[in-house]
Amino acid sequence: MKYKTKSRHIFILMSLLLITSLVAACGGPATPAPQAEPAKMEEPAQTEESTQTEEPARVEESAQTEEATTEETTETASATDSTPDSGSVELPEVDPLAVTGDIISAGSSTVFPLSERMAERFQDEGYGGNITIDSIGSGAGFERFCVAGESDISNASRPIKDSEVESCQSIGREPVEFRVGTDALAIAVSQENDFVESVTLEELAMIFSTAETWADVNPDWPAEPIQRFIPGTDSGTFDYFVEEVFDKDEEPILSAGNLQLSEDDNVLVRGIQGSPYAIGFFGYAYYNENQDTLTVLSIEGVAPTGESAEDGSYPLARPLFIYSTAGIIAEKPQVGAFINFYLTYVNEEVIDVGYFPASEDTLSVAEASLLAALK
Amino acid sequence: MTVSASTRTIAKTAAAAKSDLHKRLRLGESFIEAFLFFCGAVSILTTLGIVFVLGKESLLFFTSGEVTLWEFISGTEWQPAIGRFGIWALLNSTLMVTAIAMLVALPLGLAVAIYLSEYASLRARSILKPVLEVLAGVPTVVYGYFALTFMTPFLRSIFGDEIVQIYNTAAAGIVIGILVLPLVSSMSEDALHAVPYALREAAYGLGATKLETAIKVVLPAATYGVAAAFIVAISRAIGETMIVAIAAGAGPSFTFNPFESAETMTGHIVRISGGDLSYDSIDYNSIFAIGLMLFVMTLTLNIISRHVVKHFREEYE
Amino acid sequence: MSVKPDSSVASYPEDDGLQSFVKRRHRQGLTWRIVFQAATIVAILALLALLYNIIIGSFGYVALQNKIEPESLHVDGMPLEELSKEQLVIILSEHISKGLMRRLEHDQPFTERTRQDVYNLVIERVVEQRVVKSWSLTVSFFKRDEIETFMAGLPQGKLEFRSWLHWNFLITPQSSTPELAGIRTAIFGTLWVIFITVAVAFPLGVGAAIYLEEYAAHVGNPWLRRLNAIIQTNINNLAGVPSIIYGMLGLVIFVRVMEPLTSGAFLGAVEDATTANGRTILSAGLTLAILILPLIIINAQEAIRAVPNSLRQAGMGLGATKWQTIWHHVLPNAIPGILTGNILAMSRAIGETAPLVVIGASTFITVDPNGPFSKFTTLPIQIYQWTARPQDEFRNIAAAAIIVLLVLLLTLNASAVLLRNRYGKKSL
Repeated sequence: MKYKTKSRHIFILMSLLLITSLVAACGGPATPAPQAEPAKMEEPAQTEESTQTEEPARVEESAQTEEATTEETTETASATDSTPDSGSVELPEVDPLAVTGDIISAGSSTVFPLSERMAERFQDEGYGGNITIDSIGSGAGFERFCVAGESDISNASRPIKDSEVESCQSIGREPVEFRVGTDALAIAVSQENDFVESVTLEELAMIFSTAETWADVNPDWPAEPIQRFIPGTDSGTFDYFVEEVFDKDEEPILSAGNLQLSEDDNVLVRGIQGSPYAIGFFGYAYYNENQDTLTVLSIEGVAPTGESAEDGSYPLARPLFIYSTAGIIAEKPQVGAFINFYLTYVNEEVIDVGYFPASEDTLSVAEASLLAALK
Repeated sequence: MTVSASTRTIAKTAAAAKSDLHKRLRLGESFIEAFLFFCGAVSILTTLGIVFVLGKESLLFFTSGEVTLWEFISGTEWQPAIGRFGIWALLNSTLMVTAIAMLVALPLGLAVAIYLSEYASLRARSILKPVLEVLAGVPTVVYGYFALTFMTPFLRSIFGDEIVQIYNTAAAGIVIGILVLPLVSSMSEDALHAVPYALREAAYGLGATKLETAIKVVLPAATYGVAAAFIVAISRAIGETMIVAIAAGAGPSFTFNPFESAETMTGHIVRISGGDLSYDSIDYNSIFAIGLMLFVMTLTLNIISRHVVKHFREEYE
Repeated sequence: MSVKPDSSVASYPEDDGLQSFVKRRHRQGLTWRIVFQAATIVAILALLALLYNIIIGSFGYVALQNKIEPESLHVDGMPLEELSKEQLVIILSEHISKGLMRRLEHDQPFTERTRQDVYNLVIERVVEQRVVKSWSLTVSFFKRDEIETFMAGLPQGKLEFRSWLHWNFLITPQSSTPELAGIRTAIFGTLWVIFITVAVAFPLGVGAAIYLEEYAAHVGNPWLRRLNAIIQTNINNLAGVPSIIYGMLGLVIFVRVMEPLTSGAFLGAVEDATTANGRTILSAGLTLAILILPLIIINAQEAIRAVPNSLRQAGMGLGATKWQTIWHHVLPNAIPGILTGNILAMSRAIGETAPLVVIGASTFITVDPNGPFSKFTTLPIQIYQWTARPQDEFRNIAAAAIIVLLVLLLTLNASAVLLRNRYGKKSL
């Protein structure tokens, strides 16, 4: 993409802004938006007709050219191509161009980057509707999904709890789980931190609870107060960490001093960047995105990598999910189409986002449950 | 006055002469009046709404059995997930941010007001006042950006990265001070300006210098007006949200160190409602208890300032 | 008007003590004068620092790197620039997903596309130039060596001076990639919300002001009189309530209690009622309307009060009814003042963030809002989101978005001032 940096552009822009805002001042702000709307709405309508007749032919064409000419196609692409062959399930192919209607999703901030990427790709490939993704934490996501019943898809970095299933059922929703990837929960420190490289789970528990200074945990470390940055109490990441490190007891970690909590992992990253004595944890993607300023710690000597997350040797590897219901999928075909698209292509994007792919088996389980829901 | 009085008599006699005109019921007129009254009453509804909403949810909060009123007003730890609801963890940082803001805004604001009202030439005033108005018109989220990307690095370059945390109350407080500075200066300036010129002339006549006139005559005469400005500024700083949400930190902590991070009442409300809004949970109810506290604090300050201003007006207007 | 004490008066003997006393007092006066002036300068410096900080964030050098170097995309030794359209289409289909090819084909069939168009697609989608690092304007100018050291470690990288504020930034929707993100959705969201805010607050506010100024004083009933006094005090107090409290009010009343109304479900305006919720433009607009109502009322009251009484008396004297007098004589004269106040209140509403965060503006939304029942995001919310991100590039686009917001507000405020200057004198 080319950007022109001439100052003239800014001038034009400023004057345009001036005009638009003057229009706005005269009470006409409603005019531009409705004009934009019909144009948006017409597009999908045409799509539905045209794609039915012409598109499949073209797809085959391009698929053929692809096969004929690819010798060095990327590995990920061929991997997903083979997925349907190896598994027992085969999802119907989605044509995002033919999909209309809005999709509302909310939930985990850990899953957010992945869902955001899939949504962007879905839109990039022609989906004309609107996907909203709110990054509010797994718990709040289920709240909207199961209690208020206002979201179509719930992102979660932990499995749904029984109590949540119950409240879902009480509003007539039967949640269906789709595994979309694996996260290695990253324990991160600033790159200015030169004394910690690896911690044990016990040290981790001390760092995030009783220890005042780093020296309290390990005498070799400096006697500086520990600054803790952790995800908010409603996030799946927090729940998961407490479960794994503190055996489900929230008391010690929340009683620790110098504690910062935020549902927005970006706030945590910025906080950890700021001091050599800061430490925090979040989904691996946020580390991945900030590799130049953060260092990720090994736990019990195991560094978080694709392999260690996959085979479970990294102690804090955990699954990532999205949830929906058969009812919603039946009622809103666009939701089914998006989940289908999500499961089909997630392995092409997941590494770039910063997580690790779920194994073929778990993915085909998800695909099977989608197929069941689609019927 | 005499003119208007006579017009009225004429109007009256005219009306009396054609009394049938007067008796006609004007439905439209009464309807309009009723509608206009409704418009005015909307503000009452708003207040009732605020009191009802905050009161009801706070009541749910205190009757939930998880927290007593005493724990709420005496505790110093705020961690809803494990049932700790001590408002001081949040209130303390709110007060600290406010105090820092006032350390910046009050002296500076008053000095600017004195300069504008007593020293500045007409031309300087005509330039400076709009500049300060611009400062007052900048949205608070922009100040938040300023606090995080300018003030914090600036403080860190002075005191060192070791001492100043990336989120800290000092940067937020200073920037809130800059935010309310125009408010202090313009309200104080109005008050100084309202002091009758005769007082100044009397002082000059007795041989006072300009400074002595300003400090010993004009300022005392305007005390109430300036005090009102200060109180309004405090109320504004307590209620300020975006700056602290961006720059002050996201963890409730009971600390007196301005370079450490701490979460204020408003910051906590934004964080909780921006993320985990589980309706009818204790977290959800707790932010309304904080909101009620905030409302009561700012309302009290505003009522006090209004009374102070009234006092000032009675003296000079 | 001489201020200096007259030394020739008998009771003030002319000795050195007095001289030095007077001198000291004057010196003191001068020092403090400088202090006052310095305070004013500090205030102005604060404004300049604010602007400086925003501007250095919006412009500066960026280091760019290609995902795939164009040199590697040759066919039979022919460089990318010389390839035919068909060869370029093949390259494109090799590197992008089937779905994307299908969409591109749908937008405009490749057979109809020009070679240049396909070439641009290859550059945009395959070469995919990305910003690796960005520097602020000050660093760009004064610390070139720092940039050069970085570039030395990036052999394939390209250095470019970029304005983060550019045309595409205004017309593209949000994206998770900062250099591709824009504020189109946010601008439309802001316009919609403000439209609703003004449409609700303006009539209500002016109505209330008319009632309080023109009717309340002539009410006979003592109870009603009392009520009117309460309304007046109440409005003044409401003006001082923190905006976040209004957000909480909006959350409970508009988002939750009035959900069927604000979600549009009762009108059947939404395609499915199951997932509709009250976090809509309408809720936001109503919340902000209530927020700025006191400001509008107070300003409108002042404007109406400034209309000379003789106009009213003249109107009444000619036999006009009260409303006729107000509508034909009072309001036309007060309207410039009312509008000025309204514009100022509007710019306050445009900049509000906290109440909208509380009632739940969406975090990620890429499609323009299409009506009062849409989900939305606004400019300040976008700035807030981007400011919270740790990467420098997000800081850059936050700064660019701030410039847009400030230009919008300055334009509004300037038009308010113009309005005041133009009509203000005429009416008095």
